Amino acid sequence: MEESPLHPFELHNYIPINLGGLDISINKAVIMMWVVVALISILMVTAGSARRLVPGKLQSLAEMLVDFIRGIILDTMGKEGMKFFPLIATLFLFILFCNLIGLIPGSYTVTSQIVVTAVFACTVYGLSLLMGFVLHGGKFFGILVPPGTPGWLLPLMIPIELISQLARPISLAVRLFANMTAGHVILGVLFGLAVSGGVLIGWLPFAFTIAMNGLEVGIAFIQAYIFTVLTCVYLGDAFHLHGHDEHAH
Amino acid sequence: MPQFESHFFSSLIFWEVVSFAILLFVLYKFAFPGILSVLEEREKKIKNSLDEAEAHRVEAERRLKEYETRLAGASKEAEGILAAAKERTQRLMEENEQRLTAEAERIKGDATREIDHERRKAIQEIRTQTTDLALMVAEKVVQRSLTDADHRRLADEALDALSRSSH
Repeated sequence: MEESPLHPFELHNYIPINLGGLDISINKAVIMMWVVVALISILMVTAGSARRLVPGKLQSLAEMLVDFIRGIILDTMGKEGMKFFPLIATLFLFILFCNLIGLIPGSYTVTSQIVVTAVFACTVYGLSLLMGFVLHGGKFFGILVPPGTPGWLLPLMIPIELISQLARPISLAVRLFANMTAGHVILGVLFGLAVSGGVLIGWLPFAFTIAMNGLEVGIAFIQAYIFTVLTCVYLGDAFHLHGHDEHAH
Repeated sequence: MPQFESHFFSSLIFWEVVSFAILLFVLYKFAFPGILSVLEEREKKIKNSLDEAEAHRVEAERRLKEYETRLAGASKEAEGILAAAKERTQRLMEENEQRLTAEAERIKGDATREIDHERRKAIQEIRTQTTDLALMVAEKVVQRSLTDADHRRLADEALDALSRSSH
């Protein structure tokens, strides 16, 4: 009866596929990705083709999400940030739906895989570096020197800023992965207690499980939001280069 | 932790990239343009509606003010008309009264004058007739001819005596 709280994160290959030496077998996480892609596509394309001035429920939901992301981009990057709207919106929707779908019992949380979050984090951070160097050339190294730093502090500031820069993708990846993993571990532990506690005492952890599930929905939203906001901030930093204040993380 | 079992990494990364790319393409092509354009259109529409409503409000206020001034003007005008009418009536009445009084005066004067004239005429007539009568009587009495002047004198004397006795 008793099983490891980490058991839900285990993967098993359903259909082994090998593409020129690359293992691209289908497992539960991959299927969940497809489900997420299908769900988002259906929702957004349906809403996008409705184009009614007075929206229905589905269109309202899609527009709310789009407007929310647009708000984030405009707040952090300004009008020119809208160039990245498709990328950032897709990122937000993908992460949000992965987080939410993982809360359905029996499904799988794709974002609890460190490798998945790491790919997103590295892509975003790599894009911000690429953007910075394309737009500002060698001057982009100035991102390591906060404006107003006196010269004698440079030997200290540059290593600190370098670490802070390198911490960006790592923190981005680990934050999402850890939050999703921890939430599901807690849910697993509580549910394990509920099952092993029997009827007399088991209802208490079971009630906690329900409450935690509600909290996890909130966390699913918040983590998707944080990931998106930080993406915008990093891209905005590369865009403006000292145009804004340094963002703490 | 099962998440660090590296033999799943390659398939996860591959399918993540593929899924994400497909999703990005689908949304970029079929979803975002529609949704964004609707949002912008709605924003524009709401802004236009608000602007229009504001313009209508200003217009309504302007019209209200205009009507109010017009109404005030009209009431002042009505008052003026009423006052003028009253004044005119008063004047007409006064004129009428004056005219009627004058007419009455005139009629009264005419009548008086006529009466006076008639009276005089009557007196004259009486006098002439009396004179003739007296002459006739006197002629009968005196039985002689007198000159015309004598006649007159005698008649006058008789008349004087007559009128004195009649007083």
